[in-house]
Amino acid sequence: MRKITIYLSLLLSLALIATACVSDAEEETTTTTTTTTAAPTDTTAPAATDTTEGTTEPAGPVLIGSIHPLTGGLAGAGSRMDNGAKMAVEEINAAGGIASLGGAPLELLSADSTGAAEVGQSEAERLIGEGVSAIIGTYQSAVTSNVAAIAERDGVPLVIDVAVDDSILDQGYTNVFRIQPNATSMGAGGAQFLSELAGDEIQTVAYLHDDTGFGVSVADAFEAAAAEYGIEVTTRIPYPPFEVTDLTTEMSQAAAASPDVIVVTGYYNDGLLAARAAADLEVDVKAVIGIAQGAYHTPQFVADFGADAELFFNSNYHFNSSDPKVQDVLESFEAAYGEPMDTEAMLSYQAIYVIADALERAGSADPADVRAALAETNLSDHFMAYPGPITFDETGENVNAQPVLMQVIDGAVVQVLPLDLREAEPVFPGTSWSSN
Amino acid sequence: MRGRLRKAAWAALAIVVAVLLTQSTWWETNQTVFAQAVVSGLLIGGVYSLVAMGLSLVFGVLDIINFAHGALMTIGIYASYLLFDNYGIDPYVSLLITIPLLFVVGVGIQRFAINAVMDAPVHNQLLLTLGIAIVIENLALVLFTGTPRSIELSYARNEFDLGLFSLDFPIRLFGAVITLPKLIAFAVAVLLAAVLYVLIHRTQLGTAIRAAAQEPEGAEMVGIDVRRIYMITFGIGAACVGAAGALVMPFLFVSPTAGATFNIIAFIVVVLGGMGSIPGALVGGLVIGLTQEMTQLFVSGSSKLMGVFVVFLAVLLVRPQGLFGKVQR
Repeated sequence: MRKITIYLSLLLSLALIATACVSDAEEETTTTTTTTTAAPTDTTAPAATDTTEGTTEPAGPVLIGSIHPLTGGLAGAGSRMDNGAKMAVEEINAAGGIASLGGAPLELLSADSTGAAEVGQSEAERLIGEGVSAIIGTYQSAVTSNVAAIAERDGVPLVIDVAVDDSILDQGYTNVFRIQPNATSMGAGGAQFLSELAGDEIQTVAYLHDDTGFGVSVADAFEAAAAEYGIEVTTRIPYPPFEVTDLTTEMSQAAAASPDVIVVTGYYNDGLLAARAAADLEVDVKAVIGIAQGAYHTPQFVADFGADAELFFNSNYHFNSSDPKVQDVLESFEAAYGEPMDTEAMLSYQAIYVIADALERAGSADPADVRAALAETNLSDHFMAYPGPITFDETGENVNAQPVLMQVIDGAVVQVLPLDLREAEPVFPGTSWSSN
Repeated sequence: MRGRLRKAAWAALAIVVAVLLTQSTWWETNQTVFAQAVVSGLLIGGVYSLVAMGLSLVFGVLDIINFAHGALMTIGIYASYLLFDNYGIDPYVSLLITIPLLFVVGVGIQRFAINAVMDAPVHNQLLLTLGIAIVIENLALVLFTGTPRSIELSYARNEFDLGLFSLDFPIRLFGAVITLPKLIAFAVAVLLAAVLYVLIHRTQLGTAIRAAAQEPEGAEMVGIDVRRIYMITFGIGAACVGAAGALVMPFLFVSPTAGATFNIIAFIVVVLGGMGSIPGALVGGLVIGLTQEMTQLFVSGSSKLMGVFVVFLAVLLVRPQGLFGKVQR
């Protein structure tokens, strides 16, 4: 009996920790492996040192830290992002490194956040200790908040490839820059697209969203912006993205309110469950639209979900797929890593080029000089579907960052809004189950 | 006599609540959602039952808390996915491969790892099984990357003619949708529960297993090879969760942490149903599945698991031995 009591109390405490943060709990256990997984990647770049010209004295490599979830529930996207950064580093080194630093090559130090904020934070401290000139990361708002605080404290610039929460840059940081649109921009952009797409055909929205900082901040921003277009969010259904194994009940709750459209915000796995529930229920709405949704604009969603993926919308950051240069990048990524490149990986790839551009202008690998150069960034030769160059305001937000509305049409993800990036006419109203 | 009266009172109360519910305006507007919550809860609950049964059996017989249970489910998920993806073997046909495969994996884990800590303190056993879980998950990460995958069954939306009547999937029941993969998962899970029950309570092997569970030394004295029984039991536990993995694969996603999602739930089901009780695990799984969906329905804005934990705490306080458990020692 006593043993049972010990078991139960152990179980209970474990279980409670786990509900508070399932991902954190299971990922903490892998912390010990972090350093060993990160260490071997230190050797990715040095081969390129040979390419420096013989006339200049050999320059030491410029270290760049890359923090992403390489294990745990988000390992798929995290490792693609790390690969995107690796590819950019290899390209830059093959092209002669940083010219203003005597052809110094870049060296990427990859670190595993395991999806947990405290691990990301300690990895940031480790990377800064190893002397990185800048850090990119981290895919999750919670992790990014902690990493940003460390970067600011130690004066090492952090270039955020993916992390949406506005509050990360609300702290008055001077060392943190964000390439992707923030939550306000995602929500407001999504609301504007809905209005442009359908005029007043969309008046009510049921909103199914991730209950972490990511989903809540986007949904809040959308709700506020949508009101200005006369669109009302009638139902909001938050769900825990790393715990759910089924979203049928949630989806039927959303549909029960008879909204004009159902909007979904979240990551890939939960997005897939939501899409499957919508298709199974054949929800009677004019469209299912992702806003900052991690699945509905990816080639993998189309491949996995087949005919059911048809006509799903997603308003999200996107690479400029109409640009031939971007098509080349997509091809070399798939050739090198055997899977299609998604926008998250492109943003990491982009972040390395933003840092390389700053290094080139700074002529120094000192973090403070890199920070100063980053603040002056005006990069028009970029890969994203943005209306202007990548350039940061005083808070560190990319002023030209905007989402793009995409739709799955005939088995391909195409850009439908804004008009200047349109690749095909949107199909609205439309869902794969109503059109059959 | 008193027991019968109490039962009658409970039944009367349930009827009154049901009648009040169906008369209310709430019911009219939320009928479909309610039906969906019940259906989804029962269907996923069946899978919880199957996962928990393996865990419960291992705990009941070996007195080992197996934190690698979810990771074993991940093996089942990947095995089923790879057989489908590479050889086109239907996930339900491949149960014939995944179940024996996981049995062998389970026997191996017991033989080469857990046997060494059978008499060790609880925390050593916990660390070992946790370690096995980490190894399995990270092995999956190295071999298959973290990219989540999924499949769509080509026949999931077909109409099936069964002679007397035909079933057009997905079935509609009071407005709630029942999809084919989930119905199969539920039915097979309940079937396997029955098979397991018969195996444990009606066969010679089952008798030996129960003997080894109750009195290992006594069992040894009458000629039962307890170490072998332990290996077989762990193998059966792994086979249960492997089957569960294969059954959820068509409607879940395939990723290294997919199985771990079920781990915590399975522990709760085991405690709720009573350690080592197979009917307890079955009922517990269904109760937890329903509780989870009802929480989603009535307590908006909270995690589904909150209600599950409230039930869990209540059981610990009121009936610590679980619904079907016997008071121990």
